[in-house]
Amino acid sequence: MNHFDKRNMLGATAPDRRMILKGLAGAATASVMMGPAFAQSAKGEAPDLAKAVADGKLPKLADRLPASPMVVQVDKVGKYGGSMRRGLRGSADHNGILRLIGNQGLVRWNLAFTEVLPNVAEKWTVNDNSTEFTFFLRKGMKWSDGKPFTADDVVFSIEDCVKNSDLYKSVPALLSIASKPVVVTKIDETTVKFTFAGSYALFLEMLATPLGQHPTLFCKHYASQFHPKYNPNVADLVKAANLSSWPDLFRAKNGDIEIPSRWSNPEKPVLDPWVIKEPYTGGATRVVAERNPYFWQVDQAGNQLPYVDRLSFSISQDVESLMLDVISGKLDIQERHIDTLQNKPTLAQNMQKGGYRLVELVASGSQQCQIYLNLTHKDPKIREMFANKEFRQALSLGMNRKEIIDIVYLGQSEPYQAGPRPGHPWYHEKLGRQFTGHEPKQANAILDKLGYDKKDAQGFRLRPDGQKVFFSIDVIPTLYPDCVDCLELIKRHWAEIGVDIKINTIERALYYTRGDNNDHDAAVWPGPGGLDPMLDARDYFAQHPQGTRYAVPWTQWYVSNGKDGQEPPESQKRRMKLFDDARATADLTKRAAIMKELFDLGADSFETIGVCLAVNSFGIVKTNLQNVPQKYPSAWSWPNPGPALPQQFFFS
Amino acid sequence: MLRFIAKRLLWMIPSLIVVSFLSFVLIQLPPGDYVTTYIATLAASNEVVDINTANELRARFGLDQPMIVQYWKWITGIVLHGDFGLSFEWQQPVSELIWERMALTLVLTFTTLLATWAIALPIGIFSAVQKYSVMDYVVTFLSFIGLAVPSFLLALVLMYIAAVHFGQDVGGLFSDRFMNEPWSFDKIVDMLGHLWIPVIILAVSGTASLIRVMRANLLDELSKPYVTTARAKGLSEFHLLMKYPVRIALNPFISTIAWLLPNLVSGSIIVAIVLSLPTAGPLLLQSLMSQDMYLAGAFVLLICALTLVGSLISDILLALADPRIRLE
Repeated sequence: MNHFDKRNMLGATAPDRRMILKGLAGAATASVMMGPAFAQSAKGEAPDLAKAVADGKLPKLADRLPASPMVVQVDKVGKYGGSMRRGLRGSADHNGILRLIGNQGLVRWNLAFTEVLPNVAEKWTVNDNSTEFTFFLRKGMKWSDGKPFTADDVVFSIEDCVKNSDLYKSVPALLSIASKPVVVTKIDETTVKFTFAGSYALFLEMLATPLGQHPTLFCKHYASQFHPKYNPNVADLVKAANLSSWPDLFRAKNGDIEIPSRWSNPEKPVLDPWVIKEPYTGGATRVVAERNPYFWQVDQAGNQLPYVDRLSFSISQDVESLMLDVISGKLDIQERHIDTLQNKPTLAQNMQKGGYRLVELVASGSQQCQIYLNLTHKDPKIREMFANKEFRQALSLGMNRKEIIDIVYLGQSEPYQAGPRPGHPWYHEKLGRQFTGHEPKQANAILDKLGYDKKDAQGFRLRPDGQKVFFSIDVIPTLYPDCVDCLELIKRHWAEIGVDIKINTIERALYYTRGDNNDHDAAVWPGPGGLDPMLDARDYFAQHPQGTRYAVPWTQWYVSNGKDGQEPPESQKRRMKLFDDARATADLTKRAAIMKELFDLGADSFETIGVCLAVNSFGIVKTNLQNVPQKYPSAWSWPNPGPALPQQFFFS
Repeated sequence: MLRFIAKRLLWMIPSLIVVSFLSFVLIQLPPGDYVTTYIATLAASNEVVDINTANELRARFGLDQPMIVQYWKWITGIVLHGDFGLSFEWQQPVSELIWERMALTLVLTFTTLLATWAIALPIGIFSAVQKYSVMDYVVTFLSFIGLAVPSFLLALVLMYIAAVHFGQDVGGLFSDRFMNEPWSFDKIVDMLGHLWIPVIILAVSGTASLIRVMRANLLDELSKPYVTTARAKGLSEFHLLMKYPVRIALNPFISTIAWLLPNLVSGSIIVAIVLSLPTAGPLLLQSLMSQDMYLAGAFVLLICALTLVGSLISDILLALADPRIRLE
């Protein structure tokens, strides 16, 4: 196991993954900070809880906390009270709740998104070839109903729930390797072992993302009553609830990582800092979560977290009314749905009136507007045109990126293709910067050479078969209006080199359907993987069936181990192999070397055309809300603001 | 009369069957299905759904089956068990979701209706009687403005002014404090304090068009010989007006009942969304947007059923109010 310089790691304040995931050893060392020494010092608790204790309605603080609670080093020791207000939309916005309170997995990210830290698990060990992970839970830790949280709960969650084929037809991708699911065994009351069929060096990082929350999701003493293995009479409950099968009932009661019913049952015990009181159900106008009296984290002074009494999510059907709520100071922390560049001037102008400040959210993506030409197009003529690297190179050179950045992104970016962001240790110059100059002459020369030298009356080039060099680009205007603006400019730039495009603005379900069926000529989407290239590598090779839009059939080939889709070219196959290797490599120097080779191949193939580096977004935070970092990542793998620990935010 | 009602009721059955099938097909027509939309919505916040999970969802909801099979399952559930199915998104029974919101929807719709009639009737009568007077022009002018301004825009502008300039809490029907409280006198007072904004906004366009209708109808009647006769016989002007021409001019108001019932569900959607009202409209729109088929289907079916019932009721009422109309 490798060791690393911890000062350097902690000194890295900017959320660049300067020292990406120095590995398991590193994370385990960090857990030394949490000593049992803190357990005795746990002394502060919220006034209403203290009163409940005095009235004999609640056990004493020391009995509610684990022997070694997790100690959060807060900026300022806060005071209790208040209610934190946030806005949600009425539909499919359950993850807005997850981002704030449902981040209690076995491990978590640090603020800089560079390192995995202990969370529910106090520490862990990993064997040499990364197939066995042993987690040590906190002794005496409790669910929000006061019952003990033990290794049995973890085993139950994985073995009885996630691996139950009625409940989950297939085990989530994150919990299986080499097509075999993980095996979880109980060592003792507070120790569990995860055993994989192959090396899975990336497991801890995966566990820190929201999709890795399964091990701590289901509470055995509550959830088992809806499980036929533990309750033979579950059919009666199903009938009483007017449902058709036990998995329906189980899901309605216990939820899953990202479905709304996770937040619709106030009875369900959780490990979260706040517990749902007013649920998120169809037609709800408000969601409220109250403090969990058994929450297992304290600040360095021994005060139990969270500081804030309750979370209150108001539900707006309309984004404009959410904006109004922000401007009139009715929300305390918000970035969801309002963080578009167009809103920034309005929000900046009303800072005084609304009593809030702006915080910077560092983009985790690499590309703001990635153009995916369909290299596996159904029409052989178009496929031949797109498959030629020089054609793509000409298109890239024909784009005036500086103009786009100045007009659409207010100068807040730089020309870029794809790849880890500058400052990231895996930053790849060629992958990121090649062909980003504006060279229309060179582009024209290339296109002439390729046989597109005849032109029609309007000056557009003709293919050798007499058809115009023309294709349409799918874009979703409601989701990414800036990409539409980009394309408008690009259409003009490309007209200058004789290439005609149609900007195909479509509704998002249609966008997905066209992609899934491989019906699109080309599509745009923001390219991810800027800070987390290991977690989302869709632009570096054909990885993601719904993301790698330049070759969906190749991704299907990769995902199905060669059973479906189309066989990709050698360079792709090599990269697929490299990525699988990198995922199994715990040693970070070795992993970096493997990924470098992958990026080299990607740069040579130049499959996607990028415009500019993903632009940082922003959020608003009420002026009197303290301990909120001024700058933090914005990502799904780092579900902001969750890993910034909202439980230690407080009102001054 | 009874025969007429029975006949109409019987006709409703085939209409409902056709309508239920059509609505199911219509909801299915857009590309993709609930799972595609779900993935796309999450992707909008850079959130990712596990690939296995997505395929599993499709199988669990039966979205991988042919449409006719899905329809059959849906409609037999309703006819045989009164079961409208489970909302994909909320994993709650559809009937529960819809009824939860109906009470407030009823309150809002009826208040709006009363407000509309209370304003429109007198003004319409007045402007017909005082035809081409200054006041008539003023009223006409105002009612044209009312017709022309989209109500959601009015809602947004009112909200902006109230929030930014007066610091008032305008969205929703209740203050935070009362939102999930049981009903009490204080809560009703609180609701009335919030109710007036949506009622005014919704009433503006309704009032404007009703004033125009009332004025036009009454003008037709006022010049008829029976009015002159009644006047010649010395009937007081007010009595005369109310008893004959106004009663006849009321017919269009009664006809509006036919679309009043479906409006309970689908009316005022945009205003309700802008104002975040806990009524049925936003839920209907959401279910259509997220292609939550069973929820949307139940709504569309409900609206159609209400339209049929509504037109029956208004036919009966018309016959009662105006003896000249015969049902046979």
